[in-house]
Amino acid sequence: MKFVLRRLGFFLLTLWAALTINFAIPRLLPGSPITSLMARYHGRLQGAPLKAVEAELGVDNHDSLLTQYLTYLKNCARFDFGKSVQYFPESVSHQVGSALPWTLGLVGVTTVLAFVLGTGIGAVSAWRRGGRLDAVLPPVFVVATGLPYFWVAMMLILVFAVAHPWLPTAFGSDEGLTAGFNADFISSVLQHAILPSVTILISSIGVWVLIMRNSMVTTLAEDYVRMARAKGLPGRRIMWDYAARNAMLPSLTGFAICIGGVVSGAVLVEYVFAYPGVGYMLVQAVENEDFPMMQALFLLITVAVLLAVLLADIATAVLDPHTRTAR
Amino acid sequence: MNLKKLAAVAVAAALLVSACGGGSGKKSPSAKSGPSGTLTISNASGGLWTCGFNPFNTSVNLLVTGEVYEPLVFVNALQNQKTTPWLATGWAWSNANKTLTLTIRDGVKWSDGQPMSAADVLFTFNELKKFPALDLNSIWAVLGGVSQNGNRIVLNFKTAAVPYFYYVAGVLPIIPQHIWAPVKDPVQFKNDKPVGTGAFVMSSCNPQNFTLTANPAYWQKGLPKIAKVQYPAFTDNGPANIYLATGQAQCGSQYIPNIDTFFTKRSKDHHTWSPPVTQVTLYPNLKTPPLNDPVVRQALSYAVDRQKASAVGEDGQEPPASQLGVVSPTFASWIDPTAKAADTYSYNPGKVSQLLEGAGYKKGSDGIYVSPAGKKLSFTVINQGGYSDWVATLQVVAQGMKAAGIQLNVNNLSSDDYYNKMYNGKFDLAYYAQTGGPAPYYELRQWLYSANSAPIGQQATTNYERYMVPSTDKLFDSYAATTDTGQQHQIIAQLEQIMLKDVPVIPVTESPDWYQYNTAKFTGWVTQQNPYALPSAFQYPDMGQVLLHLQPK
Repeated sequence: MKFVLRRLGFFLLTLWAALTINFAIPRLLPGSPITSLMARYHGRLQGAPLKAVEAELGVDNHDSLLTQYLTYLKNCARFDFGKSVQYFPESVSHQVGSALPWTLGLVGVTTVLAFVLGTGIGAVSAWRRGGRLDAVLPPVFVVATGLPYFWVAMMLILVFAVAHPWLPTAFGSDEGLTAGFNADFISSVLQHAILPSVTILISSIGVWVLIMRNSMVTTLAEDYVRMARAKGLPGRRIMWDYAARNAMLPSLTGFAICIGGVVSGAVLVEYVFAYPGVGYMLVQAVENEDFPMMQALFLLITVAVLLAVLLADIATAVLDPHTRTAR
Repeated sequence: MNLKKLAAVAVAAALLVSACGGGSGKKSPSAKSGPSGTLTISNASGGLWTCGFNPFNTSVNLLVTGEVYEPLVFVNALQNQKTTPWLATGWAWSNANKTLTLTIRDGVKWSDGQPMSAADVLFTFNELKKFPALDLNSIWAVLGGVSQNGNRIVLNFKTAAVPYFYYVAGVLPIIPQHIWAPVKDPVQFKNDKPVGTGAFVMSSCNPQNFTLTANPAYWQKGLPKIAKVQYPAFTDNGPANIYLATGQAQCGSQYIPNIDTFFTKRSKDHHTWSPPVTQVTLYPNLKTPPLNDPVVRQALSYAVDRQKASAVGEDGQEPPASQLGVVSPTFASWIDPTAKAADTYSYNPGKVSQLLEGAGYKKGSDGIYVSPAGKKLSFTVINQGGYSDWVATLQVVAQGMKAAGIQLNVNNLSSDDYYNKMYNGKFDLAYYAQTGGPAPYYELRQWLYSANSAPIGQQATTNYERYMVPSTDKLFDSYAATTDTGQQHQIIAQLEQIMLKDVPVIPVTESPDWYQYNTAKFTGWVTQQNPYALPSAFQYPDMGQVLLHLQPK
């Protein structure tokens, strides 16, 4: 219990630091959102209208930094991030809210899938070290991991959408469909998710395979594994309950960070497949100096990573009794 | 032009896809008497839709102006400002071209069934006056007052304002008073259910797509002929170009690298015609020596290899520009034969030497000219680093200049830094394209009119080189005071001579209106033979005209 409280205290401190940095960074960046706005709209926004828009966006505000900071903290607590510069006059929360489910669905599910599959394959290939599986899968996945995301994505589009028009090339669902719980929409979403999720799987699964395999190989040499064998326990039980459970610990923290990072989306995949997620939104926000949007997204990512790490810490404590007493 | 960024990825896609044949065949819709068929537009807009359709919001106005909201008169940039009545049936200038009287069409209804009248037009103008942020083209800078007289609207200008016709009648969307009058802050009004007079109504929207459907009560009987328009939100070029290449979209508006193999040759129905509309131009800073010397600027213009810039830098898709400052062939009728004959500004290192040596410059040991005062003839050009084609073009230009004895350093900047330096005049040379208009006057005025300039350190609106010459200003003023096209041509001819003699700016390539189309499902597209409107999907209100002309096969 003390351990959990300590982790929680640390979580709150980090959160405050993250909030403050998140407030400071956009203000330290050079440039003004207005000049980017002009560039975006074919230069039609000039002169007096420009000044009017500045007023609308509150870019010309002259509050002291402290006042701005306090307002910022208050608004963060209410999930109110103001109006987006880029999607003016739409609010940031609305825009992020419309893109987030797509990202969570696609990247979240594939990340979990990659972790489970990768860790499983890693464990089995270490268990059957030198076997046929071990000879083929890890090297293949290492090579796959080395392939750039967008290249894999474009090869998949080329084969499965352009050469043979089996699968859609872009978007989260068919253009004409309205979101809702009906068979048409759901099957369209699943169809559209195949290529992007396979892309992410291909390029991310290898890491988990490697980490797990190497960690498992070390664990298998431990005395307690030998002891388990000596006791005559069935191989399956030794593999999963003795070896894999311990070998998984290093992967777990990495996985937590990945899960936290899910909310940042998979920028390149979203880019190539025109997937309506938050990853591309983040890039656009940075390019367009959309401070409110940037702040909201960075905050979302930070909080998600912190939360995931907190949960991973607790999970580690459950899995590994050592950590509970560690000072 | 930001449509062209990240072209590197698109190039990769082009190479990959072009290696492969095939494409998806689309069924042609059965012929019916009413509107039919679904058109899909592929225009990389750079973000998801907000589902707001405020026609005065610069990020979404191009989506509904022309399609849902209609202006008073259509002015065609590709046919010498040919006018087509839209919501106005007639118009006339009077009072020494200071008063414009427009007659508003009877029998037009808003899409919610209410009648449209001159009162709505009056309301629209007054709304712009009340909320300057809506006044995107600053029309109230020249407008004195607006009044209604029955079905007539009378615009009184402060000065003669003939070219302002384009801004007040050609691009201003007319909005319904009964919807907008109760709106407290129209600038931040989202307008998610737009009510207009246009041929289409917005029927559904989500962040990745919105749908326009034919307005059954449209005032032009028998139009539109297409039933539905899908407008997906393409965040970037790559996926948008694949949609075009595979026939999933029929109308495209962005740069496609290697367009022949990627798009045109894939199907006999794939076509492209991107008419040039403005010029990508080098702006010499006229307040910085030695660029304040016309002889040096003339030498610079002779040192720009426009042919190579077009062929190598722009993949042959942006034609070379000329020092006359008039886009050709789009505005060819405005080019004065005398001026054209006098335009000798093709790449000519010999002429560069002759001019510079005449002015006392000597070639240094590194082949670069040195001024009589001992300063090397070396300049830095600021460029929009995000436009990969501009980056490539300036590399080509720099090579050509070096061979002619002038050093050009290319400084590719981030968008913010670039605009900031350019607006404030903090550069030797800047590379940029203006927005232009339906005649050469608009782009020339953006470049050369002194009211568009500002002292160094203050933001200039469009005259970044800081060219301020009273006699030139007078030419623009006299152009605005006449409706006689003969006289207007004569004035443009004089401006062309100024461009040749003074070289205030140096046009390098012509920036086209990117346009690709697919004739498998629809006919009636804009073609070189029938250029009835600017064809890019982001051109408003032109896209409204295109949709009125299209019909299913």
